[in-house]
Amino acid sequence: MSATPILAATDVEAGYEPGLPIVKGASLSVLPGEIVVVLGPNGAGKSTLIKAIAGLVPISRGAVTLDGADITSHPAHLMVGRGLAFVPQTENVFTTLTVEENLRLAGHVVARDRREDRIAAMFALFPDLDRQRRMPAGRLSGGQRQMLAVARALMVEPAVVMLDEPSAGLSPKLVAQVFAKLAEIRATGVTILLVEQNARAALAIADRAYILADGRNRHEGSAATLAGDPVIAAHYLGLGGDRSVAS
Amino acid sequence: MTFDGLQLQFLADGLFSGALIGLGAVGLTLTYSILRFANFTHGDFISWGAYLTLSIVGALVATIAPDAMRFKPLSFGWPLIAAALAAMALTGLLALALDAVLFKRLRRSGNGIVMVIASFGASLALRALLEFLFTSEPAYFSRAIQIAMPIGFGIRVTPDQVALFALAAIVVVLMHLLLTRSHVGRSMRAVSENAALARVVGIDVAAVIRFTWLVGGALACVSGIMLGLTVQIRPQMGFDLLLPLFAAAILGGVGSVWGAIVGGLVVGVAEAAAVQWIGAEYRSAVAFLLLIVVLLVKPNGLFGGRSP
Repeated sequence: MSATPILAATDVEAGYEPGLPIVKGASLSVLPGEIVVVLGPNGAGKSTLIKAIAGLVPISRGAVTLDGADITSHPAHLMVGRGLAFVPQTENVFTTLTVEENLRLAGHVVARDRREDRIAAMFALFPDLDRQRRMPAGRLSGGQRQMLAVARALMVEPAVVMLDEPSAGLSPKLVAQVFAKLAEIRATGVTILLVEQNARAALAIADRAYILADGRNRHEGSAATLAGDPVIAAHYLGLGGDRSVAS
Repeated sequence: MTFDGLQLQFLADGLFSGALIGLGAVGLTLTYSILRFANFTHGDFISWGAYLTLSIVGALVATIAPDAMRFKPLSFGWPLIAAALAAMALTGLLALALDAVLFKRLRRSGNGIVMVIASFGASLALRALLEFLFTSEPAYFSRAIQIAMPIGFGIRVTPDQVALFALAAIVVVLMHLLLTRSHVGRSMRAVSENAALARVVGIDVAAVIRFTWLVGGALACVSGIMLGLTVQIRPQMGFDLLLPLFAAAILGGVGSVWGAIVGGLVVGVAEAAAVQWIGAEYRSAVAFLLLIVVLLVKPNGLFGGRSP
């Protein structure tokens, strides 16, 4: 790879309690415009890794860079201003705020004269949300909430969006919609780093993938290669050797 | 029910004390929902607000405004208004200072019970300091006697009561606008619901907490001034008000500004009704009773707990 990564984590060790790391030296890099997915079994440390990059979990070793600048352990609330947006797996919208208030809240880091344009752009990208802009987000369906969480992240025109299991709890039809929307967002130039349990759907839109186990890198490569490897598919991806995934 | 004065006077008295309780409860409910602990020092911020105002009024009258006229028929003039604004800021700063030296350190432990007990201790210290500085003798903003005016249905209210009720209404509308129309208000609601997500969105949670202390302290000061203008100023006055404040905040739903106001009005009217029909000695029992009933029947309160 000759291009410079826009986001890179090198030999990261991180965990919630001092001396009890969950991520034990994981590394990844994401090139501009890519969709990269982090896969692995339950307890592999996928979510902890992405939260550590986002500044939500203490990093005890290693480094994280964004566009070449060191952002290791920077406070979480400063990340979004630097161009790194994060969509948590659950509780990812403010349920007592309206749809529009959720977007306005996120838009405060955008220049004042750009905010209305960004809100209009988000409602154009997610017309379903536009129809419910005055509704408390707590009354949205699971899929709509996920879309609002993504729209909230995109409000700030981030260089990189990180998503923690965006398909969790959604029906297969909604999962397809969410992943189609992610592919659409990537087409606008946004780089995406994804943590997913739904390997089949994630590999279908990803360029590259990392497989973590026990907090460490186990495999990495192109999405098509990993999905097509019957051993990896059976051991880590729960795909049962189905080779049609990456097609 | 007849329109006999004795029958309906409790409504006016209850609504006024309810507005006072509601304002205090707004500050309490905001700190409760954002800082996640029942803050016993809120009552003492009320007392400190009243004493700070009294001190500044005294200083103003003694130095630059010895002949300041009162706004007739009200019992006060511009020195009180100027002092109130300054005291609101100072009470907010007092709350902020207490957070910096005490609560901020304890918050890191993440133990709510420790915070509550610490606030109880800080409350004792603040009250003792007031008694040391001002003695426990009652003090007054004005010793002018106000004549209550008839407003119909046999109800009488003093001009101060009317003005302060209007002030309470203005403060509540301003709070509503702050929480729904400003970024800092939306941030307060966001932190109240989910502090971790607020960080992800780019909100400086520590700054929001500081702002909450300032607003909570300022609102407590307004309550103290209202109480001081209509009754008397004592170091114990805020602490004595804590039970109705908690009852109002919980009745309305923790985190809800409108809920705190409605809760305050309900508690105030219920207490006044108890004084009129059962006996003044049962006044405090009414707030207790309301608190118990709400916790049993609707633990999230009338407004569900988190709406502005």
